[in-house]
Amino acid sequence: MTQTVQPAAKAAPASQKTMTLAAALTDAMDLALARDPNVILYGEDVGVMGGVFRITTGLQAKYGKERVFDSPLTESGIVGSAVGMAALGFRPVVELQFGGFLYPGFDQMASHVSRYRYRSRGRWSTPLVIRFPYGGGVNLLEQHHDSPEAYLAHTPGIKVVIPSSPKDAKGLLLASIEDPDPVVFFENIKLYRSVKEEVPQGYYTVPLGQGRRVHEGKDVTVIAWGAMVQTCLQAAVAAEEAGIGVDLIDPRTLVPLDLELILESVAKTGRVVIVHEAVRTAGFGAEISALIAEHAIYHLEAPVLRVTHPDTMHSPFNAINHYSRPEPAYVADAIRQVLEA
Amino acid sequence: MLTPFQILAADGSVTQPDLLPPLDQVESIYRKMVRLRHFDDRLMVLYKQSKMGTYPQFGGQEASQLGATLALSQGDYLAPMYRNTGAALAFGWSPKQAILYWRGHPAGWKIPDELNMLPIIIDIASQFPHAAGAATALKLRGLPQVVLSFIGEGGTSQGDFHVGVNWASAMRAPAVFVIENNGYAISVPRALQSGADYLFKRAEGYGIPGHLVDGNDVFAVHHIAKEAVERARRGEGPSLIEHLTYRLRPHTTGDDPKAYRSDAETQEWAEHRDPLLRVRLLLTAQGHWDDQHEAELRKEAEEEFNAALAEADATPAPDPHALLEYAMASPTPALRAQGKILEQRIRLLEAQA
Ligand SMILES: Cc1ncc(C[n+]2csc(CCOP(=O)(O)OP(=O)(O)O)c2C)c(N)n1
Repeated sequence: MTQTVQPAAKAAPASQKTMTLAAALTDAMDLALARDPNVILYGEDVGVMGGVFRITTGLQAKYGKERVFDSPLTESGIVGSAVGMAALGFRPVVELQFGGFLYPGFDQMASHVSRYRYRSRGRWSTPLVIRFPYGGGVNLLEQHHDSPEAYLAHTPGIKVVIPSSPKDAKGLLLASIEDPDPVVFFENIKLYRSVKEEVPQGYYTVPLGQGRRVHEGKDVTVIAWGAMVQTCLQAAVAAEEAGIGVDLIDPRTLVPLDLELILESVAKTGRVVIVHEAVRTAGFGAEISALIAEHAIYHLEAPVLRVTHPDTMHSPFNAINHYSRPEPAYVADAIRQVLEA
Repeated sequence: MLTPFQILAADGSVTQPDLLPPLDQVESIYRKMVRLRHFDDRLMVLYKQSKMGTYPQFGGQEASQLGATLALSQGDYLAPMYRNTGAALAFGWSPKQAILYWRGHPAGWKIPDELNMLPIIIDIASQFPHAAGAATALKLRGLPQVVLSFIGEGGTSQGDFHVGVNWASAMRAPAVFVIENNGYAISVPRALQSGADYLFKRAEGYGIPGHLVDGNDVFAVHHIAKEAVERARRGEGPSLIEHLTYRLRPHTTGDDPKAYRSDAETQEWAEHRDPLLRVRLLLTAQGHWDDQHEAELRKEAEEEFNAALAEADATPAPDPHALLEYAMASPTPALRAQGKILEQRIRLLEAQA
């Protein structure tokens, strides 16, 4: 389940620094570029400007235009060329400008990124990372709020990583860059600069496939990733004041999934709420719910509930989007419902 | 360096006098350009007052968008991208609707029945295959209309650019494809998109006419677009036109161009190659225009904008139910169930307030 990390990567880092998720990502890429000459970064606007969210700021100046560069405007080109680069030994870390714009590159992801090793029976592999900002709660245009994790989790051969905190973001990105499999790396726009925490300095990895218990409780298991972890944490803290213990689990990676941690929590609480900002039908919550039904149905005291975006487009109607995107109040209401069931 | 097709030079001198329209038409076009510029700049002001959403200004590209769109006839089709608010307004989209659209109000997103405008596309280059398909539909139905679509020079790097133009070529479909080469795709300069010197030259590979036009000369733009529209209407297939222009404004209201281009460069375009300026110089040189005319026109533009803004402001706030509308022709059982969840969320937030 967990990828083996190189022993050196586990060395305890010396000190900590308060960082935003955005800064932690920049730091991770800086370290990766310094450590491995095969790491290269490219995408739309990532060079001179440092990306629209400034996550690659300063990296072109530091590592040069051969290793950090602006690409032509084409997602199929960015992803497709990364396949060729990776096959010949580079470690491309490419940026798509928004998750809602991965679709022109999706053919390359589903048809090629995920299949090169399989198709060549191990002769070629594609150890690359595709990063992109995603998610709602910010007032942007159409297609800028999408949360497309389910398409990718449904694609065999690709790992799906979604950090919810600066510390995780840095360690998970470094683990993703080291990983022998292709990784899609989701960066929540709302989280980029709204969360800060102590982040270890220097190189470290957080293994892919290990979830994190964000809040401990014995009454209800709440499972969430990305920005929804913050949303659920607010609901968990409020619930605690009302005497309800929420066990908040952040899987951190959807593929591979830390099912053990989820099942351990479900065995304890018997009640589950799954929260995601992606649309409901065939969202990753459905997969988790099915796994719980397969492995832990006799532990359940109530039906599993999902709090999700409805089955409609992530809308550009920003004044009303909080009715689509889960809010702490909706999570709190679901917690109440599973307890009353 | 090739010389782009031009009728009116940047300094207001006329390079092809026989192609210049009569002065009253020149004036009417100038009036439209000033209105467009005013609209565009006011949206930026509104943004700074937190009364507007993210908005991609078209300032500097008025000639390119207006000149081409005016080549269309009643009933023709427009397949716009996000940069084309200018084209859409020239096409008949109301300023009130455009304001509401960029505010993210569902009322602004409703395209009026009488306007043959396809939706504004944010996903770069996707509008080209749509335009090609719409043009194919017109051809199959034996209808006389044509489709006009725009793309940025950055967008020409996408697969869908090729797909759209090639499709229309293969089908000899009545489409006109305009590349607005405004120098930058956000921060990325034109030279990084392709090793080719000019993008219009791709037309040769598609077996269709290609044109290089001074995109800040509204008369040149109009002349060439008209030729392409007429050709398409005659059933002779699509054309590819490259407008050389410049985005005078930031990429969007949220962008700071200082990160990637010099103020001096922008200033040079603003002071010497502004598409409005040369028309005003011409009108003035002909004794047709003075400062008083200019002041009156600006006042008119301001009053018109204010009226549209007042109407937009008076539009009731969006209703949350809009979120579930139009996703399906009629709601699936899942969507109906989610309608109940929406009602519950409305209650929850009301209770919280
Ligand atoms: C498929 C896709 N990828 C990325 C983006 C993000 N993006 C918005 S505008 C832009 C640059 C576009 O440049 P260009 O095509 O030259 O048009 P301009 O904005 O200059 O009019 C980019 C990369 C997008 N909207 N769609």
